[in-house]
Amino acid sequence: MKRDIEDVTSISAADLEKLSKEAAAEATPSRAKIMWGEFKADKPAMASLFILIFFILFVIVASMFINTPKMMETNLMGYYAKPFTPEYWLGADSGGRSIAKELIVGSRNSISIAIGLTIISSTFGICWGLISGYYGGMVDLAMQRVYDFMMIIPMLMTIIVIVTIIPHYNAITLTLILSIFYWMGTSRLIRSRTLAESQKDYVAASKTSGTGNLKIIFREIMPNISSLIIVDTTLSFAENIGVETGLSFLGFGLPMGTPSLGTLIANANDPENITGYWWTWFPAALEIIVLCLSISYIGQVMRRATNAAQRRGKQQD
Amino acid sequence: MSLIEINDLKVHYPIRGGFWNRIVDNVKAVDGVTFNIEAGETYGLVGESGSGKSTTAKAIIGLEKATSGTVMYKGKDVTKGENRRKLDYNHDVQMIFQDSLSSLNPRKRIEDVIAEPLRNFEHLDKEEEKLRVLQLLDIVGLDADALYKYPHQFSGGQRQRIGVARAVATHPKLIIADEPVSALDLSVQAQVLNFMKKIQRQFGISYLFISHDLGVVRHMCKNIAIMTRGRIVEVGTRDDIYNNPMHIYTKRLLAAIPETNVNHREEHRKHRLEIEKIYQEQQATYYDKDGMAFPLVKVSPTHSVALPPHLAKEFEQQSENEGVNV
Repeated sequence: MKRDIEDVTSISAADLEKLSKEAAAEATPSRAKIMWGEFKADKPAMASLFILIFFILFVIVASMFINTPKMMETNLMGYYAKPFTPEYWLGADSGGRSIAKELIVGSRNSISIAIGLTIISSTFGICWGLISGYYGGMVDLAMQRVYDFMMIIPMLMTIIVIVTIIPHYNAITLTLILSIFYWMGTSRLIRSRTLAESQKDYVAASKTSGTGNLKIIFREIMPNISSLIIVDTTLSFAENIGVETGLSFLGFGLPMGTPSLGTLIANANDPENITGYWWTWFPAALEIIVLCLSISYIGQVMRRATNAAQRRGKQQD
Repeated sequence: MSLIEINDLKVHYPIRGGFWNRIVDNVKAVDGVTFNIEAGETYGLVGESGSGKSTTAKAIIGLEKATSGTVMYKGKDVTKGENRRKLDYNHDVQMIFQDSLSSLNPRKRIEDVIAEPLRNFEHLDKEEEKLRVLQLLDIVGLDADALYKYPHQFSGGQRQRIGVARAVATHPKLIIADEPVSALDLSVQAQVLNFMKKIQRQFGISYLFISHDLGVVRHMCKNIAIMTRGRIVEVGTRDDIYNNPMHIYTKRLLAAIPETNVNHREEHRKHRLEIEKIYQEQQATYYDKDGMAFPLVKVSPTHSVALPPHLAKEFEQQSENEGVNV
């Protein structure tokens, strides 16, 4: 059988190296290169990327050097200490705790929870949507009823109840609890695109080429909706920072004694803090705004990189 | 023995409605199609849009579930997925799609596109696989630099040839070509068609060639089936169909082939109008009360036509008499 093809062509094993070199010279640039070109063309996005990476690395590394239980101890001498002093860079709260240190540890907690939540809920939502959209029929029907059921549960109330009745929980269990309720939006979005995508001829071609269903879903269809996945994931990351922060702000997030961006912003619950002691809540609020803006800039660039018509970077092919 | 035998194949789609979403009716996309494809021949399936050609093809290759009927390959009914897997059916039967762009995954490089069936069926090592892809590209007349490019970087004709390269990669016995050239301009059509013929000679592949372009079908096919409204109305060799069409639908279809000879423009026009008139007059007799074609009647050893009952009786008697004479 192999002989047949060799009879017709003059290409043999001897030419392989030369020809693959020829092909490599003409190869289209990789996705990573295109994305980098796109970042270079958009200065605010480039700045956002550096701010985000630098900030995440900074809070992770810096928080290793901070002794959290000691930091959270009340120190009467530092009662609402003013900012920009050698001991308290960003001042202190009513317990005399350093806002700067709380901000670093709190950011690490909040960002880790947001990353964990995004990874778990997006992965699950993407798989759910892909499988539901690809198989269709009864599978789709059953999976979408589960989706409907999850949608009608009042999310915030249920989370608060679960958090209240669970005796001991930490950052990890909180992430898992939140993940149960945050995959639906992604799944529905992915399902709608998969429904359209799985009707295309290349899926039929893969089937006739003998490729299995799971491989078609994750190796053929998923790369084709990657732009949607990337954009959705970056935006839901920004949103997920808000989820934990919001819960902590309400007092149902991380347990007492664990700082987070939400607990810092909760200082603004006190009118006196808003007017008199602005440093207790302002840095955390500013940080969240900067983070969310950066992420949305990065998301825009990623979306443009995956869509050739919208690219601003230098054309490379 | 034929390579593949399609017997009374039906594909019906349910129409749901009413309370409880019950099945209220069926769309008969394919309704009792029977034909055989011999090894090494090109079988033409012709018909207007929506006549069920593509659905027939999809049911044969297993993309569409057959409602009833059988497709026999190597003595097994391949409408059942289980049998398809056992026989490695898609190793032997491949498909070329109409839309060359959407049939190639836009996110995969050409190497991966062509190597896909090889990876699933032949399990070559990396070097061998790359060599085979390069050889296939050479056969379809593309240079080695196509290897790492993406489908959108090629022209329509080149893309269709990549589709052909993928289809012949595993050296199949039958390729189902679903309107492979209808999206291409004329010069490129000729290029791709000649090239499909060349491959057929070299590898002894059978084609099921689906088209609505009768000129192309005449160029490619030895045996032709004309389909309309989910049923075959006329089957025969190329000569039977083009020189002795008997069903009014076939006649009408043939009259629709554009003539390039402008000198006889008026005559052609008259001829066309005449055929159309006959078609409108006799339409009621050639289709039953549901608008479906009648069963096929043999009018010669190679030629069968879906004639209305009164004409069919004549031919049956005639053939019986001939039988007695012999």
